[in-house]
Amino acid sequence: MIKFWNKRVKLGVITEKPELEESLKKIHKEIKENVKKKFAGSLAIRMVDSGSCNACEAECNALSNPYFDLERLGIYFVASPRHADVMLVSGVMTFNMTPHVKEAYEQIPSPKWIISIGDCPMMQAPFEKNYAINAPVTEHLEVTHHIAGCPPNPVEIMEGFLEFLKKI
Amino acid sequence: MRFIARFCKEKRECFEIITVYEESTKIEEISKESPRIKTLAKKEPSAIWFERKMQDDFGIIIEDAFDKRPLVHQERFPRDLHPLRKDFKEIQLQEAPYLQYKYEEISGDGVFQVAVGPIHAGIIEPGHFQFSQAGEEMLHLEVRHFYKNRGIEKMLEGKTLQEAKPIIERISGNESIAYQICYRDIYLQATKQELPLSLRKRHALLLELERTIHHLTDIGFIPNDAGFGAALSFASKLSEDARRKMNELTGHRFGFGAIDFENSFIDTASFHEWLNDLKQSVEFFEDWIIDIPSLWDRFDTTGILPLKKAVKYATVGVIARASGIAIDRRINPFYLEHGFSLASEVSGDVAARFKVRLAELQNSIVMMRNFLEEDDTKLEVTEIYDGEYQSFCESSIGELFMAIDIKDGLIERFFVRDPSFMNWQAVHIMMSSDIIADFPLINKSCDLSYAGNDL
Ligand code: SF4
Repeated sequence: MIKFWNKRVKLGVITEKPELEESLKKIHKEIKENVKKKFAGSLAIRMVDSGSCNACEAECNALSNPYFDLERLGIYFVASPRHADVMLVSGVMTFNMTPHVKEAYEQIPSPKWIISIGDCPMMQAPFEKNYAINAPVTEHLEVTHHIAGCPPNPVEIMEGFLEFLKKI
Repeated sequence: MRFIARFCKEKRECFEIITVYEESTKIEEISKESPRIKTLAKKEPSAIWFERKMQDDFGIIIEDAFDKRPLVHQERFPRDLHPLRKDFKEIQLQEAPYLQYKYEEISGDGVFQVAVGPIHAGIIEPGHFQFSQAGEEMLHLEVRHFYKNRGIEKMLEGKTLQEAKPIIERISGNESIAYQICYRDIYLQATKQELPLSLRKRHALLLELERTIHHLTDIGFIPNDAGFGAALSFASKLSEDARRKMNELTGHRFGFGAIDFENSFIDTASFHEWLNDLKQSVEFFEDWIIDIPSLWDRFDTTGILPLKKAVKYATVGVIARASGIAIDRRINPFYLEHGFSLASEVSGDVAARFKVRLAELQNSIVMMRNFLEEDDTKLEVTEIYDGEYQSFCESSIGELFMAIDIKDGLIERFFVRDPSFMNWQAVHIMMSSDIIADFPLINKSCDLSYAGNDL
């Protein structure tokens, strides 16, 4: 373990690296304030993949890496819809996933919101509508906010969360 | 003869059943009026998913199959629809009445079933795992997928190769470069062109970068699933750095659209510098993690896939190499000249898969250094010839196989077999001597794709 601590001291804190600082600092501050005001300091998100390519998930996972560390702003990805305030939907709403996505939404206690992420749920990714696809998601669920991009990068996702927080 | 894939093509007069082996390809023609074949699954157990898929997609009857349950079509999918047939044109299906899927289950005194999924507790893709449990011990696992089926094969039919590209690069986000390279090879065959060496090097560099990102992510997540979160923090920093490099090189964090025929500028000096840093970090990581006995306690002898089974199920990629099979699409002169060395372990457990990833990571760094060069070669786009083409590529998960038929300049049939499609079928074997709490760890150590599997 001593190796690790040595390394840790040498590396220091990398969260909010200088290159990102200016653009991120503002978002951070605003998100924190909004989460505090509207969600008593903790916004719980349940991510549901309805047929993505997995890149959108990877970018959401990246939000937890030391550069972004989303949790310190009070936003958590939770394991169950029953713990969630918001459902974050990615993917093209496949025929096979549609009933499960709706079920997950029903399990979220009210008040609840839906954010869609990536171009897929809005049918703006290169995929074409066919028998296996039920997107756009708006035909099945009421979406409060959409985060565009294929995939949106972590900063864009954070900005998206902020816009959502301002909206409600 | 290693089994690679088995799929169906609809021709004007008949169905063709194509069976691809390592050294040969077999074609069987069957009539359209009564499309029946004999199962191959008795000899090649992993043929079963291919056959069940054919049955759903084309309505092929597998006469002597011991498992005739639907694979891609789920509880609410309209019965007797075969979407990959040429005369199927519907674009919106209505849900049919719910029809229960019969899981493979072991029953008996005190044995109970645990259903997990399709939606899981983390930020991961959907799929279903059905366990038969005796207390904590897993007696059996059935892996059930295809929740994410987007009908990609059908979607691409009738498109030109160029039109298909943006879709192909988004089949599996983590393997985008590999998919693009498979596509590239088919494109080159169809245009009868050779790829200039410098472009080949650039593409190979990007493929190794993709592998690096994927392995870095995994070497964090695997220990994390064994309760060692510090590794995830450390490795996810490295993978974020690598992803930013990908963005710097290709203009996209996942390299969508990156495999083109124009060499663009790479700042080689800064790339070398980053590679040096990465090498040091990975060495440090290895040195550090090897010293944590409680972690290896969880890794060692967990989720064993014995060599015999790995061969029998025709597994590929990291999983196969961790079980002692020397298989890698990069075993060829081009890669060997640029420093490729095969990573291999024999114990077939979580530890082996983890070590294979670490070794490949280090090898990728060596290769990326050798692939790096500044150059501005271009390849002109030329006419596309009709034909039936196949290609292979070693993605970060394993061997990827793609087949495209082109007729009158348009895609007549698109088929792709993700390495995950083979490997998922072997995952249940890894459970036999472990408890259910080990499942997330075992699953993560394989890190297979759902999107590429489901298409
Ligand atoms: S929006 Fe783009 S990146 Fe996200 S899941 Fe869809 S194809 Fe993948």
